[in-house]
Amino acid sequence: MSDQKPPSAPPPFGEVSRRSFLRNSAILASGAAALAASLAPLRELSNYTSVELFLQKHYKELTPAEMQKVLDRIAREVEQQYHIRPRVRDYKPMDGVEFVYCLNLTRCIGCRKCVHACVAENNQSRNPEIQYIRVLKMPHGSLDMERADHNYAPASVPEKGFFYMPVQCQQCKNPPCVKVCPVKATWQEPDGITVIDYDWCIGCRYCEAACPYFARRFNWTKPSIPKERLNPEMSYLGNRPRRQGVMEKCHFCIQRTRQGKYPACLEVCPAGARKFGNALDPESEVAYILKNKRVFIQLKEELGTSPRFFYYFDV
Amino acid sequence: MSLRTKIRNYFVFLWRCARIAFAGDSRYYAWMGFLSIIILLGINAYAKQFVHGLIVTGMSDQVSWGVYIANFTFMVGIAAAAAMLVIPVYIYNNKELHDLVIFGELLAVAAILMCLAFVAVDLGRPDRFWHLIPGIGKFNFPGSMLSWDVIVLNGYLLLNVHICGYLLYCRYLGKTPAKWFYIPFVFLAIAWAVSIHTVTAFLYVGLGGRPFWNSSIVGPRFLASAFTAGPALIILALQVIRRVTDYHIHDRALLTLRSIVQVSMLINVFLLVNEIFKEFYTRTSHVASSRYLYFGLHGHHALVPWIWVAIIFNLVSMTLLVLPLSKSLRYLNVACVLAITGIWIEKGMGLVVPGFIPTPLGEMVEYSPSLNETLVCLGIWAFGILCYTIFLRMSIPILQGRLSRANEGLPDVHLVNAR
Amino acid sequence: MQFICEMSATVKTNWVLRVLTALFLGLAMAFLCNGWGYSAKLFPIPLVDTNFISTATVRMSAADLIRSGGDTSDFECYACHERNKPFKLKFDAEGDVLVPKEHANIVMGHGRHHRNNNCFNCHDETNLELLQTRDGRHLKISDSPALCGSCHGPTYRDWEAGVHGRTSGYWKRDLGPIDRKVCTSCHNPHSPPFPSRQPAPGPHPLHPAVDGKLIARSES
Repeated sequence: MSDQKPPSAPPPFGEVSRRSFLRNSAILASGAAALAASLAPLRELSNYTSVELFLQKHYKELTPAEMQKVLDRIAREVEQQYHIRPRVRDYKPMDGVEFVYCLNLTRCIGCRKCVHACVAENNQSRNPEIQYIRVLKMPHGSLDMERADHNYAPASVPEKGFFYMPVQCQQCKNPPCVKVCPVKATWQEPDGITVIDYDWCIGCRYCEAACPYFARRFNWTKPSIPKERLNPEMSYLGNRPRRQGVMEKCHFCIQRTRQGKYPACLEVCPAGARKFGNALDPESEVAYILKNKRVFIQLKEELGTSPRFFYYFDV
Repeated sequence: MSLRTKIRNYFVFLWRCARIAFAGDSRYYAWMGFLSIIILLGINAYAKQFVHGLIVTGMSDQVSWGVYIANFTFMVGIAAAAAMLVIPVYIYNNKELHDLVIFGELLAVAAILMCLAFVAVDLGRPDRFWHLIPGIGKFNFPGSMLSWDVIVLNGYLLLNVHICGYLLYCRYLGKTPAKWFYIPFVFLAIAWAVSIHTVTAFLYVGLGGRPFWNSSIVGPRFLASAFTAGPALIILALQVIRRVTDYHIHDRALLTLRSIVQVSMLINVFLLVNEIFKEFYTRTSHVASSRYLYFGLHGHHALVPWIWVAIIFNLVSMTLLVLPLSKSLRYLNVACVLAITGIWIEKGMGLVVPGFIPTPLGEMVEYSPSLNETLVCLGIWAFGILCYTIFLRMSIPILQGRLSRANEGLPDVHLVNAR
Repeated sequence: MQFICEMSATVKTNWVLRVLTALFLGLAMAFLCNGWGYSAKLFPIPLVDTNFISTATVRMSAADLIRSGGDTSDFECYACHERNKPFKLKFDAEGDVLVPKEHANIVMGHGRHHRNNNCFNCHDETNLELLQTRDGRHLKISDSPALCGSCHGPTYRDWEAGVHGRTSGYWKRDLGPIDRKVCTSCHNPHSPPFPSRQPAPGPHPLHPAVDGKLIARSES
């Protein structure tokens, strides 16, 4: 810091410099103390990241050996936190498969079982709550989302005069969320599933703004999953526990469907309203629906996103 | 002159600039101390956000951007507006504004620094910032408008740092700047200024799922409002400079800026009218967000008072600017303050938040910034103002010739009391 | 203020710096005490009842009961009825069948008309442990789809394609078995409309304290 001397009457040199030195040290020290103290909340930081995680490469650049190391790291971290040894795998897409989901609006009764089966299968945070599926209660005769009720809680469903429309990631062929991601942390796989590399996402939430279906969810804080509800069958792009500050969303239960199983939301549906399969297989249920059911809707078709999620009716 | 001397001279220049930033009278210390305290409050609030996550803000999955991005958008406009000082000087050879160009560009530098800070605090994983660095990370260019924004903002920062730094250093050395070394950059910066704000508008415009933003008029409106608020802020800043230093700024310069603000404000209000007409006359289902903003929707109307205040401020400011009354500085100042406030509301909260309400699935969740979020914002504002103060503290003595190569040997005493 | 104005520049500067030093120290203390801002507490959200994540169908079909070794006594008709003795149905004035008190658990509600109010439309009157179709085929009690399909053609066609009702297990047949639910896994044959049920809890907002009043919007 420079000395403060009125040019008209300079005081004796030594005295001022000593006094000003003390004064300057005092203000510098107090300023530094305040700066250090302002960082006090960082004391509570635990398990935010690790050297391995910080330096980890993008999913598509990992060699099989590196991927194995990453999977081991994830298993280790899960075991440390939950004292359960998970089975973490990286399932690859199958050749000749394009997943499609069909949902029968005539059958859905709005029981929200799919919502909670999904939460259980995919290790979503229970508090704050992260849910991939939103069930809309809509008055008969309208698809106007603005008239939808998200928080219905009657004694029993279905209610007269309404139909129910579960909405989750539509796995668009032309996904706006993928286009806007500045770091390619989300992309479309060959089997049609749009996935997120939770270890690459920077949490800018641009994809959340871009999604026309309110399908993406952000980890606003550390997710919390009760130990007894942890699903230990995990996959890298799927249901492994996420960290604070990253996006997640429905991935058609990649850890189930890439092993040939049906997704969890389908398995729990009491009304059989949900149908899933390989659209490229003419014998599949979804191929039958797309061929034989006359009325089906792709939500917000006018946006050109071309969802792989079809709503249909029994007529 | 040998290369060694040149390098030595440059470092002496930097060292003297750094020293002078810490030297001033009691008012300077009080002002800098005040800003530091606000910055510390901001740092503390950000530390909490870093630990607990963005849950400490008022944002949610429904309204996933808030005041951070709103302020970011506004500040990009302020930065772009520096071009409005440069154009008259370099294209129309306006002498009044010549020396003031530096002040405008320094404001742009401070504004860009604020922009970068606002984006950084909005990130959920700031530790993964390096994923955004082209070459090292995985940059989604040209697909993502955000990657364009990273390029144009940092490019604009470098351009302005180069132009200001070079001109000031030449002044310090007492030599005439080599035209080829800055004039091309000046013209590039003019085009670039338009591009930073257009790209920022495209961030919103490109989202088909958000009809409130998916409108081609957003880009032009951004430019018009930026070229209103930016020069208005410079008018105020120049008067502050004139008052607290002995740097002479002629009223004529302020009045030149007034005519820029005047025209931009007229265009801004005209474009606003266009937007409102299109939304409310056609009344498609896409009007929901606008209805929420201007009149409230389904019993939710948090933004209604704000937007009407903004509209009234804009209209009063426009009226004042059009009337000859505002040739008096007192009224001009009132008009500028109203314009800046009005545009900050309209373009920040009034643009970002209603885009999310109702959600694409028709849910109504409102947003209001939390205390913690507000402290972070105030901290960044204070940081920007602190940067601008320091830039002025360095540049004014250089422009006045008080700080120069010629007086290198002298103590910097005479600088301190430049009021 | 008078006092401040009279001070010399140096004294004023010293004074400002002293005040700032004090303010910085005060601020440091306040930061350490964490006097304001965010508290890490979240509003509790009860864990959802595991019934809501059970994959069980709404009822057990005869086939399910037999397979799981459950109580099939309901299907042992001749524990009470007498073999080879013709059984006479009684009807009320409206033409609705009168359900005997031994079968009081049966609610007759198949279809919106009275024509289906006859037990022997589906049960074989000569052998109560069998089902019979309108075209005279006799079916085991666990073979509901063929019976239902004899009237509900389009639905049966969808069911055969795996599109009506739930198909569980593996979408890729060569990787694992599929589990076809039958009609009576979900529909009560005597009263087939799908039963209503309690819905699982709805979503909880991220900021309930802030927008508790903002979030609830029910049009029902």
